[in-house]
Amino acid sequence: MATPLQAALLCVLGAALGIAGNRLTPRPAPLGARVLPSAEQPGAICEDPRASVARISVEAAKPLCIACTAVFVDARSAQEYAAGHVTGALHIAPGEPVEPLLASLRAAPTVIVYDRDRQCASANAVAADLLGRGLRDVRVLTGSWPDWLAQGGPGESGTCALCTGAKP
Amino acid sequence: MNRSVLVALRLALGVLFLWAAITKLPDMNAFAQDVANYRVLPAALVPYVAAAVVGIEMVAGLALLIGVVVKPAAVTATGLLSVFVVFLVQALLRGIDLRCGCFGGDEPASWWTVARDLVMLAAAIVVTTQSGSSKLRAALQE
Repeated sequence: MATPLQAALLCVLGAALGIAGNRLTPRPAPLGARVLPSAEQPGAICEDPRASVARISVEAAKPLCIACTAVFVDARSAQEYAAGHVTGALHIAPGEPVEPLLASLRAAPTVIVYDRDRQCASANAVAADLLGRGLRDVRVLTGSWPDWLAQGGPGESGTCALCTGAKP
Repeated sequence: MNRSVLVALRLALGVLFLWAAITKLPDMNAFAQDVANYRVLPAALVPYVAAAVVGIEMVAGLALLIGVVVKPAAVTATGLLSVFVVFLVQALLRGIDLRCGCFGGDEPASWWTVARDLVMLAAAIVVTTQSGSSKLRAALQE
C-alpha cells in the first residue's frame, strides 16, 4: 500500500481513537460545544483553574498602585511596555534576567504581574519565576493591560529606567 | 546516515509524540482551550480537532516507538509538526499571548517552541526520507 494512503489511514485511526476515547479522560474536551478563545469568553478573563499563581483583580490592584504598596511587573514586549504601562511598572518579559530587579521586587510587600492578553500566559511564566526565586506575594492581574486601561488605572509611557539588558 | 542515529531519531520521535499525548490526557478540556486560543479553527471544530490530535499523536508515537509502519508514521509526524509550526508562527506574529499546549502544563508559546518543533520536524523528515531506503528499512524497524 502506498505510504500516503497508509499515513492517511493512520490519521483516521488516530483521530477516531482520540474522539472516541475523549469521554474516558478525567476532563474531556467538550465535543459538540463551541470552544471560544479565552479572551472572547465573558467572565473567563485570566481565570485559569490550573493557574498556580494567585490572581488579583483590577479593582483590588488599583488602590495598591496608587498607594505604591505593590510593585507592578509588565511581562509584555519591550515595545509594548514603552508604548504604555502601569505607572511605575518594571519590565520583565518571560525568559529575561530578573536578578538586576530582585532587590526592588523584594522591597515590595506585593508584586503584581500583568501582560497583554487575558489568558495571562506570559504573566504566569514571569510570576512563577519570581515565586521560584523566593518572593512571597506574587499575583497575576486578571484582565491584564486592556482592562487596566479600560478601568482607568494609572499609566505612563517610556522605557524602564531601573531595568537593564536589551531594552529600547 | 548512520543506522543507530536513525533508530535513535525514530525512538526519540516516538517517545516525544507519546509523551505529548499522555500529558494532555488528564485535561483534554484545557487542551481544547489551548487549541481555541490559536484563533485559527472555527469554535465548533475545536474540541474535535483537539481530541483527534491527541489520538493521532498517540498512534504515530506508538508506531514509531515499536517500529511498525514507520514511514507512514513519520509522514504523519511530519505533517503534524508542520501544522504545529504554522499555528505557532501565526499566533506569535499576530501577538497572541497563549500557552503552546504542546506537553500539557502552562508553557507559553514562544519562538523557542517554534525552534524545538523545527528540530523535531527535521528529525521526522530524516526518518521519512531515509526509511524509504531498503537498506535502512530493516534498521528502522528493529
